[in-house]
Amino acid sequence: MSDAQDRQDGAAPLEIEVDGLRKTFGRREVLKGLSFVVRRGGFLSIFGPNGAGKTTTLRMLATLLTPSGGTVKVAGHDVREDPMPVRRAIGFISHNAMLYPDLTAQENLRFYADMYGVDDREARITELLERLELSARRHDVVRTYSKGMRQRLAIARAVLHRPRVLLLDEPHSGLDPRAVDILDGLLTEIRDEHTFVMVTHNIAKGLEWGTELMIIEGGRIAYEHAAGVDHDSFSAVYREHVHDGSVV
Amino acid sequence: MNSQRGGAIDQGAAGAPVRGWAQFKAIVRKDLIRELRTRDMIVSMILFVLLAMVIFHYAFSVKEGADLTYFTGGMLWVTFIFAMLLGLNRSFAQEKDEHCLDGLLLCPVDRVTIFLAKTVGNLVFLLIIQAVAVPVFTLFFIERSYLGDVLPFLIVLLLADVGICALGTLLATISMNTRSRDLLLPILLLPLIVPVLIAATGATTLIFAEGAGLADLLARVLFLLGFDAVFLVAAWGTYDFAIGE
Amino acid sequence: MKKLVSAPALFIGAGVFLITGLMLAFWYSPVDSSSMGFSQKIFYYHVPIAETALVAFGIAFVAAVAYLRTQDLKWDRLSYVSVRLGLLFSILVMITGMIWGKAAWDTWWAWEPRLTTFLLVCFLYAAYWVLRSVVDEEQRRATYAAVFAIIAFINVPITFFATRFLPEGLHPVVISAGGTGMEGSMFVSFFISMIGMTLLLVALTRRDLAIENLKDRVTDLKTSLGG
Repeated sequence: MSDAQDRQDGAAPLEIEVDGLRKTFGRREVLKGLSFVVRRGGFLSIFGPNGAGKTTTLRMLATLLTPSGGTVKVAGHDVREDPMPVRRAIGFISHNAMLYPDLTAQENLRFYADMYGVDDREARITELLERLELSARRHDVVRTYSKGMRQRLAIARAVLHRPRVLLLDEPHSGLDPRAVDILDGLLTEIRDEHTFVMVTHNIAKGLEWGTELMIIEGGRIAYEHAAGVDHDSFSAVYREHVHDGSVV
Repeated sequence: MNSQRGGAIDQGAAGAPVRGWAQFKAIVRKDLIRELRTRDMIVSMILFVLLAMVIFHYAFSVKEGADLTYFTGGMLWVTFIFAMLLGLNRSFAQEKDEHCLDGLLLCPVDRVTIFLAKTVGNLVFLLIIQAVAVPVFTLFFIERSYLGDVLPFLIVLLLADVGICALGTLLATISMNTRSRDLLLPILLLPLIVPVLIAATGATTLIFAEGAGLADLLARVLFLLGFDAVFLVAAWGTYDFAIGE
Repeated sequence: MKKLVSAPALFIGAGVFLITGLMLAFWYSPVDSSSMGFSQKIFYYHVPIAETALVAFGIAFVAAVAYLRTQDLKWDRLSYVSVRLGLLFSILVMITGMIWGKAAWDTWWAWEPRLTTFLLVCFLYAAYWVLRSVVDEEQRRATYAAVFAIIAFINVPITFFATRFLPEGLHPVVISAGGTGMEGSMFVSFFISMIGMTLLLVALTRRDLAIENLKDRVTDLKTSLGG
């Protein structure tokens, strides 16, 4: 899929390192010791039933949650000790757009550009709005946007500061086909030199993009494999491993 | 669309203070644009404050020619405090509802910068409301002119406002994350704000009723200054915990 | 402090001091020469209770800071046990204060500095409890409670200061700038009561903390058994 993972001339450096990650909310242990790595340029697709801990893991990579135990390193920085550089290096796309409904697209992007310290603010915003086909609605408040448009603008928000790592939380859910195409087109364009972690229920998309596949179940890794698994085999594997809450 | 090649993205500490100020301005600007565009919070708070004054009149008009002179400071500040209880919640409610708070926390921004920006935003709203409310209040309730003491009055106003907004912002951040969002804030804030109330109403009433210069009010002004300093520092130290996770 | 003195010993010690203090107050110390007369003797309990309440809130403050730094829930337990005891003592301050007020000045309530400060303190720490009750998740609850305990404690002396701006009150200022203002014999009784009250606080804190720790262990066991 991408040259960046050509392992013949030496493996790419580690972009994400997770070691013994645990998370408890009160007495509930949601993550029970995850360990995995993602190399630069890799694309990790994470599957699993609801409540398995997928989104929790992603949020920890994003520094929105702190680990209860274990270490998490993103772009060479520990998320607990050194969250600022991590935040500069990541972009987060979730089904919540994280956009201010009463602000226009331009105002939203200007805000985030200022927060991230994007130097070529205006040029970058214009470039992204064009790429995402939102230029015409640049000065309309986000409240008037459709779901697909909001998702597109959310993508702009996420890549505005040119992050090296993109974290995607079910990005295709709720999108109309046109928006899916735009998202996929964008992902293709930035595929090289970026590292991805995507949580998804969409097995087809997960397999299409992923260079590594993982199933998280009951707070543990139930299955991991490099890409190359076809849809049917994977579905079988999925059903085999996901058993009403217990890890097989 | 390409990201920077290789190496650490970290722009280094040199950019940090400059970044903080720019981020501060960005947050304040964002909040101001948002509220002034929809206007519903500002308008509601102004209406509330004016209505409260009218209600005070009817509530206290028990005896013919009752003299409210020494109640004026109290009436004014009670009104402002209750208006802020409404406004503080609103300033966070939307961040929470649209998950914008996540978006904000994802940014490489010091949590303290967020605190200061939010406090200043709330302060601006309070000042706007007061700009409308004080003249109306003067019209309704104050007989004698206090124009000579306008400066001390404004100083007291500003200092008390800072205290209310700083503590209010900190506590609103906490209460917005709990089950009984709106009801919790008054319970938490009101006991803490009593010292401000005492000092501010004392000073304000003196100005309205008898006229007082900065010298007469020095003790109260210094107290408010001290209050603001202490709690700004306290909020500074604890805000990270209030807004995190 | 923990294993040094056993819990029952602490309670007995507290009891001894308090009762001694009481006896001294009644038979050793002179009857107050001012208008208050015999009722002044409630002072030997009223003030120690007040000071002990503040000590409890101080412990809660320190424990709150410790929790924020370590994220260890045992500090949270100490914090809210202390707040609870402090609140209890504060209510007692109000009650004894009101009794004193009635006996000495024939009025159940007066809006004067000490009493109103403690009234506010009661509301403040009652708010602490309300805050705890509306947060479901343990760590978050402990974090918010800790932040509030810190802010609240800082606010107590500030509130006291602020009440000085209010019009003059009836409450005699005992510990004034120029010394304790008490005669020798009065001071002894007062001091003994003070020690007794402090010992009582320590004993109660120990006991309550032990109970809370036990409760916590039970919940842990329940969870691990799949409860």
